[in-house]
Amino acid sequence: MDLFEAIFWFLTAMAIGSALGVILSRNPINSVLFLIATFFAISGHYILMNAQFLAIVNIIVYAGAIMVLFLFVIMLMNLNADVEPQKSRLVQFAGIISGGILFLLILAALRDMKAAGVIEKTATDIGLMKNLGKTLFQNYVFPFEISSVLFLSAMIGAMVIGKKETLVIDKN
Amino acid sequence: MKAIIAATIIGVIMMFASILSNNKSGIVSLATVLFFFLFGINIWEVYESINATGVAAPAYLNNMMSLDSFAIWFSMLMSGCALLYILLLGKEIAKVGKHVGEYFALIAFIMVGIYLLAGYSNMLMLFIGIEILSIPQYILAGSDKRNLKSTEASLKYFLMGSFSTGILLMGIAMLYGATGSFDIINFRMLQTDALNPLALSGILFLIIGLGFKVSAAPMHMWTPDVYDGSPTPFTAFMSTIVKAGVFVAFLRLFHASFGNLTNHWMMIVAVITATTLFIGNITAVFQQSVKRMLAYSSIAQAGFMLFAILSVNATAWQGIVIYAVAYSVATIGMFAVLIKLKDYTYDGFNGLAKKEPALAFFTTIFLMSLAGIPLTGGFMAKYFVLLAAVQQGQVMWLVIFALIMAAVSVYYYFKVIIAMYFKTGEAELNHEVTGYDKLMLGITCLLVILIGLMPQLLLNL
Repeated sequence: MDLFEAIFWFLTAMAIGSALGVILSRNPINSVLFLIATFFAISGHYILMNAQFLAIVNIIVYAGAIMVLFLFVIMLMNLNADVEPQKSRLVQFAGIISGGILFLLILAALRDMKAAGVIEKTATDIGLMKNLGKTLFQNYVFPFEISSVLFLSAMIGAMVIGKKETLVIDKN
Repeated sequence: MKAIIAATIIGVIMMFASILSNNKSGIVSLATVLFFFLFGINIWEVYESINATGVAAPAYLNNMMSLDSFAIWFSMLMSGCALLYILLLGKEIAKVGKHVGEYFALIAFIMVGIYLLAGYSNMLMLFIGIEILSIPQYILAGSDKRNLKSTEASLKYFLMGSFSTGILLMGIAMLYGATGSFDIINFRMLQTDALNPLALSGILFLIIGLGFKVSAAPMHMWTPDVYDGSPTPFTAFMSTIVKAGVFVAFLRLFHASFGNLTNHWMMIVAVITATTLFIGNITAVFQQSVKRMLAYSSIAQAGFMLFAILSVNATAWQGIVIYAVAYSVATIGMFAVLIKLKDYTYDGFNGLAKKEPALAFFTTIFLMSLAGIPLTGGFMAKYFVLLAAVQQGQVMWLVIFALIMAAVSVYYYFKVIIAMYFKTGEAELNHEVTGYDKLMLGITCLLVILIGLMPQLLLNL
């Protein structure tokens, strides 16, 4: 096992372990911290795949900005107390069964993936910032430009939803 | 391409209009003029594409879009429906809340999404189109902020919609893993025998993701609450034009890319269709509120539109166009009547025929079209999608089941007609029905009947 593989397995274990931590920990703050750890592990994977830009963006945007927002919301709404209502046994059981079936199905489907001739892309230089920029502004310039409409409508939405109007509880 | 640019600019103009003016009726008039203009641009594009016969459909910007004659024609029809919607319900939109200009801007942006979905040829454009379509809808659903039900609808729609978008993205990623391409044409290379399991799971995820957006059962759970809770003018838009746009995206992907893989996904979609028809129609029977009944009926109608996905042939493409227009026109008309009433329950319609005979007559025509009575657009729409399925020949049991379900649907649509004509009562109106309202509803009625008599008008492909 060379160094590359050792790092890969370490990051994988970290990603899966902290992802389990997110859903298993009772305290929401711990969940968020585990999520940050997951993002760092995934960023490590990106670097292993020579996608440095993606790795940095992942850390800045997700682990940085979005997680800070998460923490703010949890602290402002005072969710760190364990107030989550307990689900009944039956619901839990149904959830486990249906989730397990989906997991089994996908596992069965993807088990012989190697044999089916999946295109494997080896690490290239595409993830470097220069090449990424070239691809983005040459091949994918239209999706890039049209997503401005998406962001514009999201901004309008934030304005429409955020402005204050008095609340009257509906009669029906 | 012109229509996409024009709709974006119209959205921006509407934003600025709301900064510069507080006059609500002025903004509505401006929006009406701009949507006329948009419809004109669409007609110009259709005219150009007719003149350019023989030339291959232009592929824009590295095959991101392929605006073939079908895409341009469908965009034109949807713009026409949106224009009709604004003419009928423009004044009601102005009453929803304070930000009238923004509502119209969001509607214009949704139109951009529909144009993208009509002519995409790359999975990235599918994703961006679906998002441009969805995010304004989450906002429109919650635009009546004084009403708790509207806020609830918005939040529910946002959370579940985001989740389904995640599933859609997962499907796209799996297909990318299987083929190494985002181009929907390249998916044709997938082998029919010994299909790559990654691609198969991708297709399954795409069925679930798109099925959610068109409210096919069992991904329909959000529909009644969202359509019932949203302000009525926006429910009219979400349940008609937007749904039709997503259906065309669904159709394009499954016919153009996975058309040769039918034995892998046909059965899944058939079961989804049967469930959608059953749940939509049977639950609609038990509703007390007409608005909620229309929400379930929109699920049931989606079940019929799914027949076009099932049958991979040219009739299905014609069927989806006729169905989209006939269903949109009739439902928009029905909502335009519903919004005039104070009470949305069946009892609210009691005795409407005596008070407003014209309104009651128009409602009867719209409901007959939705039920699929001959001589109305709804009949021709159902005829074409079922014909496509019969030509396909593999799902005869489903066609018979659909006919039974169409018979069930007559029950709950006619309950409204019976309430209007045969029950005594005093139907209370929100406000006077003006001559303009009657004129517009009359034109809508004429359109419904025209589609029923001459559906080939919609098939200029």
